[in-house]
Amino acid sequence: MFKQKTISKLLIIVMLMSSMLLSACGTKTNETQGTGSDKEEIVEVDIFQFKVEIAQELEAAIKAYQNDNPNVKINLQTVGGGDDYGAALRAKFQSGNEPAIFNVGGPQDVQDWLDRLEELTNEAWVDKALTGVLSGVTVEDKVYGLPFNMEGYGLIYNKRIFEAAGIDGDKIVDFASLEDAVKTLDAKIKAGELKEEFPLLEAVFEYAAKETWVTGLHTSNAFISQEFNSSLDAFDAKTLEFKYADQLKKFIDLQADYTSNAKSKNRLNAVDYSTQVEHGLALERVAIIQQGNWVFGGVNNINPEVAENLGILPMPVVGVKEDSIPVGVPMYWTVNKNKDEKVIDAAKDFLNWLYTSDTGKDYIVNKFYFIPPLEGYGDLKANDPISAEVLRFAEAGRVMPWVFMGYPTGWGMDVLGVNIQKYYAGEITWDEAVQDSITKWQETR
Amino acid sequence: MKRSKIWFALFVSPILLAFTVVVVVPMLIGIYYSFTNWDGIRSGSWVGLSNYIKVLTNDKDFFKSFIFTAKFAATSVVTINLLGFLLALLVTRGLRLSNVLRSVFFMPNLIGGLILGFIWQFIFTNGFNAVGKFLGVEFLQGWLADSTTGFLGLVILMSWQMAGYMMIIYISALENIPESLLEAADIDGANSFHKLIHITIPLVAQAFTVGLFLALSNSFKLFDQNLALTGGGPYNSTQMLALNIYNTAFRFNDFGVAQAKAVLFLIAVAAITLTQIYYSKKREVEM
Repeated sequence: MFKQKTISKLLIIVMLMSSMLLSACGTKTNETQGTGSDKEEIVEVDIFQFKVEIAQELEAAIKAYQNDNPNVKINLQTVGGGDDYGAALRAKFQSGNEPAIFNVGGPQDVQDWLDRLEELTNEAWVDKALTGVLSGVTVEDKVYGLPFNMEGYGLIYNKRIFEAAGIDGDKIVDFASLEDAVKTLDAKIKAGELKEEFPLLEAVFEYAAKETWVTGLHTSNAFISQEFNSSLDAFDAKTLEFKYADQLKKFIDLQADYTSNAKSKNRLNAVDYSTQVEHGLALERVAIIQQGNWVFGGVNNINPEVAENLGILPMPVVGVKEDSIPVGVPMYWTVNKNKDEKVIDAAKDFLNWLYTSDTGKDYIVNKFYFIPPLEGYGDLKANDPISAEVLRFAEAGRVMPWVFMGYPTGWGMDVLGVNIQKYYAGEITWDEAVQDSITKWQETR
Repeated sequence: MKRSKIWFALFVSPILLAFTVVVVVPMLIGIYYSFTNWDGIRSGSWVGLSNYIKVLTNDKDFFKSFIFTAKFAATSVVTINLLGFLLALLVTRGLRLSNVLRSVFFMPNLIGGLILGFIWQFIFTNGFNAVGKFLGVEFLQGWLADSTTGFLGLVILMSWQMAGYMMIIYISALENIPESLLEAADIDGANSFHKLIHITIPLVAQAFTVGLFLALSNSFKLFDQNLALTGGGPYNSTQMLALNIYNTAFRFNDFGVAQAKAVLFLIAVAAITLTQIYYSKKREVEM
């Protein structure tokens, strides 16, 4: 008798515990309903965004917005990196916990998520957008995304090393002058002339072939953007001609031939972002790397003196466009249309506030270090040297578009990037790499 | 009788519930998805066997990954168990440091695979490189830049991590061998090598079954170490099956095909490990 009682007690305990476990997942919704019953209803807006660098500053901007709009509560969640963000966003939606504001990258993302995207065509910021920045998120004349910022990349170089070697970076405007400068610098490094001032300097370039986004997306973009005018054109293209494959080869050969791994290029396949940026450029081990304005923070943390003296050289496409750098929009803000009308309105209002109000603009330029994608920022200008350089190129019209968002899914990194690795390793010839990339592009379209 | 059934139900039901919710149900849903063209956003439509046909006829990378994984598993099963067994022999000899050594050898197991992967990546690419340059040994330079050193790197990492775990299993088996048997062998004039081959190894065969099984299935299912150490690179030549499936799903957004691969993967791993258990069981000795 006694024992049966204990069993039933135990059963009750087990049931109670499991019910507690299950109910723990459900409490959140109750809470929000509870707080909403005050005289003014609180609107909750969940943001799921990908830029880790601005997570803290964005949180501060949100606080500022909430002070002005006490009836809106914004929850920020940040998951970093290109691929990881895509995977995490899908998981987020699958879980039923859909965010109100999230990010998309370009035409492919817009097509994938179209069922969820609220049309933003009538927002105040649309008219202020710089030319071309909205093309990637426009479908049938409807705008679905607000651009984050403008980013630019090219060959970032250390001005102090150039000066010491007697080279003027501003005079490098085509492939020939770039090659000359590289050769001069290389000769001086090998002769040990710069040893005293830059003891760690061992090569001209460092090239992160391990990061297939550096090779397959960024490098290739300069050459493929001569074939397509925008990411949308690339997205619609059934075939890739790869007209400028030879120029691409010249450029990646140049970058490889003057690294410290020039004699065994397969080792470039193990060079990652931090080796290139932090252990390369920032330590003054190398003078030039192909990267963008996003490296400023990382370099600045290690060596502010280097960071303050960085400039950008163009990425020359021989015989076509030799003096320009690719400038584009990395990601867009979008609003989830499956949310309540009130939430949607609050989300739109927040984005509008962030990019067009005076407080918001200050955050965008001075706290996020963004190059604004909209007009009307007046005197507010990016204050880190690399962004200033990007702006200088942009103002001189020496830019080419970012089209890699329009590549077939996975093609840039896992087809072209991988083929470039194989080429460096000597597994395949350049022609084979090009042919395979063209074929795979066609297969996926 | 009745009471024991109640007890049985009491102890089994919570874990059975958990197992159903987190393993069985997702697996069934996963099998369903493998017959659709799901892209991770909209629920896909039924496409029959076409995902499987695509994987089996038109996916060279999947088979390359399979072969690489099989090679890796074969090598690491041997190294992990050999190392684990040797470590176990070492720490059961009654040395004064035995207990400290046990903890030290087991320690790598407590660190997560991702962190270990990144730490070893640093050791291989920077540490090895520096030593190689210092000593002038070409072989130590440029690790992880080609598939051979990527493969070796993975084997070293996994052996280092899992050998301690296997050691614990072998220690418990070794300590269960009755002293009397070994003493009798001593009296009969057997040397320590004979004792090892004819007494110790047959009597720990049960532990070998477990050890081989764990090493085999873990090597096949390896993901985080692979992701962190090489990321499949260079040119996907060190991409193992789990990573290949992950990339198919999250890079190419082909969730249906990825699911089909996962189902095939499940069948393959089950077949291989069950075969191994069947043969290992045969070799076990009853005391």
